[in-house]
Amino acid sequence: MSLPAELPYRHGKPLLPSLMARLRLLNPYTLVVGSVFTLLALPLVATLFYALATRWGASLTPDGLTIKWFIELWATPRFLAAFGRSILIAVSALILSLILIVPVVFLAHTRYPRLDNLMNGLILLPFAVPPIVSSVGLLQLYAGGPLPIVGTPWILIPTYFTIVLPFMYRALANSLRALDVASLMEAAQLLGASPLKAFFLVVLPNIRIGIQIAVFLAFSFLAGEFVFANMLVGTRFETLQVYLNNIRGASGHFTSALVITLFVFTLLLTWLGNRQPATEGQPVDEADDTLSGTDLTAPIHNVTPDADSRGTR
Amino acid sequence: MLATDTSSSALAIQRDDTQREGGLLTSALRERAADQHYLKLSGLAKSFGSTRVFSEIDADIARGEFITLLGPSGCGKSTLLRAIAGLNNVDAGQIIVNGHDITHLPPQRRGIGMVFQHYALFPNMRVVDNVAFGLRMKKVQPEERERRVNEILRLVELTDHAQRFPHQLSGGQRQRVALARALVVEPQILLLDEPLSALDARIRRHLRDQIRDIQKSLGLTTLFVTHDQEEALLLSDRIFLMHQGRILQQGNAEALYTRPVDATAAGFMGHYNLIGRELAQPLLGYLSDGPRVALRPEALYLQPDSSLYGLQDSQVNFPTQALPSNSGPACPGVIRRHQLLGNIVRYEVDCQGLRLNIDVLNRSSRQLLPTHLRVQVYADLDEVQALADIPAASPTAKQAS
Repeated sequence: MSLPAELPYRHGKPLLPSLMARLRLLNPYTLVVGSVFTLLALPLVATLFYALATRWGASLTPDGLTIKWFIELWATPRFLAAFGRSILIAVSALILSLILIVPVVFLAHTRYPRLDNLMNGLILLPFAVPPIVSSVGLLQLYAGGPLPIVGTPWILIPTYFTIVLPFMYRALANSLRALDVASLMEAAQLLGASPLKAFFLVVLPNIRIGIQIAVFLAFSFLAGEFVFANMLVGTRFETLQVYLNNIRGASGHFTSALVITLFVFTLLLTWLGNRQPATEGQPVDEADDTLSGTDLTAPIHNVTPDADSRGTR
Repeated sequence: MLATDTSSSALAIQRDDTQREGGLLTSALRERAADQHYLKLSGLAKSFGSTRVFSEIDADIARGEFITLLGPSGCGKSTLLRAIAGLNNVDAGQIIVNGHDITHLPPQRRGIGMVFQHYALFPNMRVVDNVAFGLRMKKVQPEERERRVNEILRLVELTDHAQRFPHQLSGGQRQRVALARALVVEPQILLLDEPLSALDARIRRHLRDQIRDIQKSLGLTTLFVTHDQEEALLLSDRIFLMHQGRILQQGNAEALYTRPVDATAAGFMGHYNLIGRELAQPLLGYLSDGPRVALRPEALYLQPDSSLYGLQDSQVNFPTQALPSNSGPACPGVIRRHQLLGNIVRYEVDCQGLRLNIDVLNRSSRQLLPTHLRVQVYADLDEVQALADIPAASPTAKQAS
């Protein structure tokens, strides 16, 4: 019984080379990655072309290319103001979340391991509760009490904090876990550093990359946030997405230019966030040159099997 | 009452006089006494919840001594070390260093250096900055700092790697950086928590010798934790054998290796044959005092039983071992198998229902005894240890040391 795979080669003659090449192009990997990429890129490419088109009506291709929509967009004060507001709110929310989350993650990975379990459950909540539901809750929460900020744009800051919490917590937790932070803190303290100094001199520089990635990802996410901005504040404080929604009746080319601008901005931030600092120096020195002085041919004397296995009764 | 008071005050005056006369002498004596009790652990105990980690830890360690805490995993030796460093608190007891009670000081104020099993180097810093960290915390002047860092890097032979990051170094180099980092601040005590366990055999042996040399040259009081008896025997001035949170036995390598206090100690050190009293009788020729007898594999002697097979010694090509002056009666047995341990061949011999490990120097592969060969086994009676068979967990076990 021969295997089916052997069939084409039964006479020792491979299939036509051109067919082989075409088949290789159609291997599952290329197919999957290619189709996903196309699926994701198609609307964006279409939007880009629409933003660059003079007019794109009845024909299959645009009538002509122009950047006048972009120029018009960037000259609109309302757009710039909305952009500014989005950045202001996102940056404030990120600062708040950094101040609150970094110490929590740190404590959860050093002193109170149980806190990590609790947080892992807690960070699922923003996903579990739909924005519509949570915005009602948030309106109730901030309607009175110690912080009555309903109706002001400031309500977006604590709201955005809840949105970015999962991203920030996970990214920071992962970078701390990779670090063996408990041992580093202990080592630093034994060398005379106070816990606070140890944290700032040893732990923080080592999770800088993690923080950087978390911040930029969260920022790009917040810049595109619409539901909460619209539900909680709406037209009184027009963020970028609310502005986009409000001008949806205007020229499609104009809104396309806005979408592309936002996308490029996000892309830039993501790239900045993922940029690693250039690694200095040479790779790991595997050959331990300290052994030059030792006699490697010396017999291994008195080698004893693991004493543990022998047991202490 | 009054009378005693006056006499004691008179005595005090007298003592004052002698002190003035021999002030230099007494201070020297006091210093030596302080050196003898440089690190004093008394009644240390620690539990995590209901689990006892260690208890009744008492030890007196002299200045410059190299002490090894030896024991199986989970015996509490690492936790004890961390307690001395201040990384774990203790439930009871005192830690006194050079006359100062440090039991409740935070780790950064204890003046204790520590090297961890997995190095714990600061990944964001170059080797020089890792080493300089402790000096920077102590606010040592930059010139002085540089001088001391360079000096210590020369000591651990890492001057060429000063500008590297930890991830660019091999395991052995990393551990030497960790050692340098702990040493540069001139700690009162150096703690080493299985520093060699993550390294491969060759580098381990090299670093082991290096640690011992550096410790000796600096005269550092050192506590070294390991589960490897070979390391313990080679490095230590004294070994504390720990079992189930207690110090089972303490003494120098020689004492621990040849005179185990009980069956547990014998089971951990060397590869003792532990034999019940009655079973040991044919081998010893007498009934032992203790309920158990411990015999090291190298204190047993093998001779091929030529009489049975009519074999000549030359045919077997096994030169008869010279028997010790005080050997027991011949005890017939059969070789079951052997293990080659490098320079030692360990035979497992069935001897009247006993399974004995017997070590023979591996002089030549032509002298290997075949399996199933009948042999005579002799015991060196001078090396027989009669053991009181005390359960290891009982508190009296420690006092036997």
